[in-house]
Amino acid sequence: MVLRFEHVSFRYSGISDWGLQEVDFTVHPGEMVLVTGASGSGKSTLCRAAIGLIPHFYPGSWEGRVCVDGLDTRDHPVHELFGHVGLAFQNPDAQIFNQTVEAELAYGLESLGLASDEIERRLSWVSDVVELGPLMHRAPYSLSGGEKQRVILGAILALKPRVVLLDEPFTHLDPGGAERLRMLLRSIRSEGIALIIAEHRLHEAVADVDRLIVLNEGKVVADGPPRRVWAEDLSPFGLNLPPLVRFFREQGWKERPLTLGEATAVLKDKFYKGELSRFALSEGLAPKSVGSSRGLTNSPQNDSSPMIEVEGLDFGYDGKTVLQGVNVTLNRGECVALVGRNGSGKTTLVKHFNRLLKPTRGLIKILGQEVRTKPLAELSRHVGFAWQNPNDQLFQANVRDEVLTGPRALHAYDRDWCDRLIERFGLEPLLDRSPFQLSEGQKKRVAFATALAVRPELVVLDEPTAGQDEPFRQELAVLMKELRAEGRTVVVVTHDLEFAAQHADRWVVLAEGRVAADGSPNTVMADARVLAASGLRPTQSFQLSEALERLGKEFRLETTAP
Amino acid sequence: MKPQPLDPRSKLISAIFVAGVLIALDDWPSQLAGLAILIGAVLLLRLGRAWLSLMNGLGYAAGSFFLIVWVTFDLSAAVVVSLRLLALGTVFFLFFKTTAPEDLSNALVKLGTPYPFAFVLSASMQFVHVLARRAANIRDAQRARGIPLEGPLSTFRHLPALLGPLLVQAFKLADELAEAMEARGFGAPGRRFRREPHLKISDWILMAAAAGLFITVVL
Repeated sequence: MVLRFEHVSFRYSGISDWGLQEVDFTVHPGEMVLVTGASGSGKSTLCRAAIGLIPHFYPGSWEGRVCVDGLDTRDHPVHELFGHVGLAFQNPDAQIFNQTVEAELAYGLESLGLASDEIERRLSWVSDVVELGPLMHRAPYSLSGGEKQRVILGAILALKPRVVLLDEPFTHLDPGGAERLRMLLRSIRSEGIALIIAEHRLHEAVADVDRLIVLNEGKVVADGPPRRVWAEDLSPFGLNLPPLVRFFREQGWKERPLTLGEATAVLKDKFYKGELSRFALSEGLAPKSVGSSRGLTNSPQNDSSPMIEVEGLDFGYDGKTVLQGVNVTLNRGECVALVGRNGSGKTTLVKHFNRLLKPTRGLIKILGQEVRTKPLAELSRHVGFAWQNPNDQLFQANVRDEVLTGPRALHAYDRDWCDRLIERFGLEPLLDRSPFQLSEGQKKRVAFATALAVRPELVVLDEPTAGQDEPFRQELAVLMKELRAEGRTVVVVTHDLEFAAQHADRWVVLAEGRVAADGSPNTVMADARVLAASGLRPTQSFQLSEALERLGKEFRLETTAP
Repeated sequence: MKPQPLDPRSKLISAIFVAGVLIALDDWPSQLAGLAILIGAVLLLRLGRAWLSLMNGLGYAAGSFFLIVWVTFDLSAAVVVSLRLLALGTVFFLFFKTTAPEDLSNALVKLGTPYPFAFVLSASMQFVHVLARRAANIRDAQRARGIPLEGPLSTFRHLPALLGPLLVQAFKLADELAEAMEARGFGAPGRRFRREPHLKISDWILMAAAAGLFITVVL
């Protein structure tokens, strides 16, 4: 074994709830373990305890023991454990602290006190493993999110640890980046290194892992091979189950396939055993979880009058073109997802809606009027933004002032509306508290309330599901439905294609600053050319839906053949 | 940045001597000659474009100094002061452009500076970019709520809206960074540097030349 948690309980100083309670498990060399649970369930605390930051960095009450590679973390400070166990933290910017990629990879090796020829050997090896060769002399701040993640993993791998932990590694990655990370994780595992991945986005990694551990309020509530864990009742734990699992559960079937190939094989088997009719396959077997991506038409208040019209938009800076010839119209009551790779121009495009950015060429109309003639303050009454990081806007002494900042600045205070918002987001008990003291989930709620406080007709949600658990996603879906029912247009900038496919009518796909496609999620995902150009992957729900359709046709042919 | 042929210590010591010479010279032809030599070095090292960007900012400062000194003293003093500022800026531009921050911190440790201090010096440069990007995001987020942050006066009036989130994020970043650094052995005893600085003959020649120039001009 390389990692052993022995009845570990930990409570942060000054907090009444236990972060970990009686956690007991063992990880063996080369094992890949996925740790999941709702926000606040103890995933990050477990990661910190595994590398010795708890108890050495965080004061609190501690029981039990953690052994890494035979070393008891209570008796060894973090700097004696770092050669045995590494952790890739959530925020890439807060863990890259050297001026070049090469220096970043070499830092831990210097800390180990290795001779320079050994450092060179390991740098050469690790730059091959994480494919960083051409980037070695680049400044880390200039890298993409996926590249930064490879630098962080490379810096850990260079130390040749026995265990590597990753805290929500898929959160900020686009579909292409996520695929590349999966490949890298497989290759790390093939080196015999144990991997522990703490993640909400289960479908990203579950097919590769040996074990799934579910945490709830700091306790291990399920632990075993994914198929066995899926068979248990997980509904109280706020998990975002993979679409395949949800589909088989909805059908009441006991099988728990992890991949589409396995699911197809199970369906065929069921058909031949007579447990599944041809009719069901070809006509009606679209489960609730898949149905929404099979032709969404739920646009309650879509009256087709344009909310935003973008015509021939070009934008660039420092000689770099970011947007080129973008033409998009967003109608009232629509929910549109802006999707594409990191850096494809999604956020740049939405920042033009209220003139946070001014186009190099082209025009933008909001409610039929050109934005060029309007001051930003006026446009802000029509366009509300809820940014990915709520900490970007919190500065007032209490939550009440935070919510009312926009209406006061724009002279658009509507007391009834603001009271309704405060009630809608459950902020009454928090009104006199400092926004800085809130949990991340509460901050998100405050950010939504501030975005809506001036009753904007267009609401832009920037990566709203990043790092969020299933209860939050469901709450967000309800909010979006309510906004649309009121005739507001919702724009979601996201990498979360499952969410986008379930809740958006339309996808506008950006690739290298151009609109590569504009249509229903199904139309986009069925177009291989668009997917290749934009680095997107069809969602598991869509693939399952396609597989069901294919099977339906196949069986129809079989039964009608002479 | 690739390793440079000269040791950072010799470059730093030489830069300090040359800066001393520039401060001591008080006639405009000498300052102009010094600046011309330094520009020659800039061109030789193919750093012309980066130097022009530096001049973009430093030029304003030099221009302001020129006006203030001209009004306060005379034209000749104003020319000397502004040329000196440009030359001093160019000396340290050459030093920083040819020295990787890690090499500088290694060299400082060799000169007796405690490692945490030398490391903070090099690490902080990385975070200038990170915090600048965060500040831009915060500014956009606040402007989108209707807080006017355009122009210096308006930005000053609404500074808490910009500084509040930035400070909170900077503190959070510092906390996270401390954990990440510890997890890569920041506190480990027995650190060895990948590129140990070594003074070569070329370093001694450079330092001797700079010291010679300093003695000739100043003493």
